Amino acid sequence: MNKYFSTKVSIFVFAFPALLLFTLFCVYPLLPEIWMSLHKHDGFKNLDFVGLNNYKEVMASPSFWTAHKNTYLIVAISLLLGLPLSMMLSLFIDAQTPKFRRFFKTVAMFPAILSVTVVAQIWLAFYEPNWGLFNEILHSLGLSSWTHSWLTEKKTVMPSIGVTFLWQYIGLNALLFYTGIKTIPKSYYEAALIDGANYIQVCLRITIPLLQNVIKYVLILSTLGSMAFYSHVRVMTAGGPGDLSRTVIYQMYYTAFDTSEFGKGTAIAVIFILECLLISFVIQRYVAREKLEF
Amino acid sequence: MSFKGTLPEKNWSFKLEGSFLKLLSRVFWVAVGCTFLFPLYWMVTMSLKSKSEAYDNPFGLPTSWDWLNFSEALSKYHFYTYFENSVIYTTGTIVITLATGSMLAYCLSRMQWKFNSVMLFYVSMGLIVPIEVVVIPLFQLVKWMHIKNSHLGLILPYSGFAIASCVLMLYAFLRSLPKELEEAACIDGANVYQTYIKIIFPIVMPALVTQCVLIFIRIWNEFPLAFIIASKDQFRPLTVGLLGFFINVGVTDWGLIGASMLLSSLPMIIVYLIGNEKIENALTAGAILK
Repeated sequence: MNKYFSTKVSIFVFAFPALLLFTLFCVYPLLPEIWMSLHKHDGFKNLDFVGLNNYKEVMASPSFWTAHKNTYLIVAISLLLGLPLSMMLSLFIDAQTPKFRRFFKTVAMFPAILSVTVVAQIWLAFYEPNWGLFNEILHSLGLSSWTHSWLTEKKTVMPSIGVTFLWQYIGLNALLFYTGIKTIPKSYYEAALIDGANYIQVCLRITIPLLQNVIKYVLILSTLGSMAFYSHVRVMTAGGPGDLSRTVIYQMYYTAFDTSEFGKGTAIAVIFILECLLISFVIQRYVAREKLEF
Repeated sequence: MSFKGTLPEKNWSFKLEGSFLKLLSRVFWVAVGCTFLFPLYWMVTMSLKSKSEAYDNPFGLPTSWDWLNFSEALSKYHFYTYFENSVIYTTGTIVITLATGSMLAYCLSRMQWKFNSVMLFYVSMGLIVPIEVVVIPLFQLVKWMHIKNSHLGLILPYSGFAIASCVLMLYAFLRSLPKELEEAACIDGANVYQTYIKIIFPIVMPALVTQCVLIFIRIWNEFPLAFIIASKDQFRPLTVGLLGFFINVGVTDWGLIGASMLLSSLPMIIVYLIGNEKIENALTAGAILK
């Protein structure tokens, strides 16, 4: 059968369209990206070959480092705060009755299916300094001194955007964890029950260790997702005040499309790709290296 | 691959010890659950408030229902254009990705080609590249191909980026299927194209539906690439068109903003209400696939 089916023509017909699309739009753009980053480029054509000058100039600009600080702050928020909260939510969902569980799963996913534009705009109203929800609540609690103009103050702008991001994807990550929890064979729990383990012990010694494959998957997803953090910033502050809430991707967009320095923009992109590869490599190498089989 | 529906449901669970801890965690998570629903409540109430009431009473219930915001939104906000564009981008990407992706997956899992494992590795690299990092060269490429001012300018890059996950999921699915059906078709004299369309396509339908849902959610809400490539108003999808509308309105008329937000979210909310279990299965399929 295989000889009859696998002719050169049929292989070509089946493999070529997808490989062409994938190569042309997903892989090939990396080549002009690297090539452009070595040139002065105004958006229409390469002007002069400048070697690594774009990289030098990009790294000499303070905005580039502000953007890095902001990006890694978002990564830290989503890993150190987001993942533990998602894990707790998934354990909570697991401990509910089926009816309540169904309700929680439906509700938890809701923010993740709304578009970034809508979510970010809603949170703009929450952070509004004069009548926004948070300042209203603080006023009514008698904590007027705690109120802030959340999105225009240097100290609060990035954490505020981070909380919006966290809120939007916490439920989705919890559902990913919960999917993993459901695949753990119940014999493990029965054994623990016989040994007299309590709930906390069961979570720490059985559920979380056996979930390591899923944890790794979610870890990679949220790391890369928060590295490429851009859309919320575009809607909520447009990078402001000044350059204080720009992320690396935002800085790349700004350099290329707002100041027409495409060479420098691609230099930022190349540096960013290297960072992403390094981080994925570290996670692949050091987190949960052995695949668990039940 | 395994789908959630076929997994054994755990029919018991440990109870939290100590009623205080249990109560505390329940109160906390119910409160968080309410915040997940709050935006929906807020969009609906805001859209029914008049301009002055939106200021005086931004988070309470509206005192009187005012439908004016919707008629104003429909005349000022180009909802139908953006909606149509979003539909075109999403369906275009789904059709192209599923057709080409399933064919490649079939080729890699069933045909004897010496590059099969190399190509599988090559395609899986697509999962690592975030679309944001190649926005600049993609912008140039699309301009160079003269498809920037057409719907293809977004559909083709979207498809290129969706193919990796589609091929990998369908490959895993096809590997788990027995070959007997195709052998029977072969003996009956069907050629590879007939076998693919009549036998394989219906069998991989569950995996195709999962991919369809995934691509729908991703492309419907896609922002970073659309923001750059669909710069002309007539080609903007809902996500980008809505931002442009917000910038035009400014921060003066929140009732109007609420109405436009609700209009823009409504298609997704309706889809979600109909198929939230399918959406959940699709979004979490990756977690147990690996």
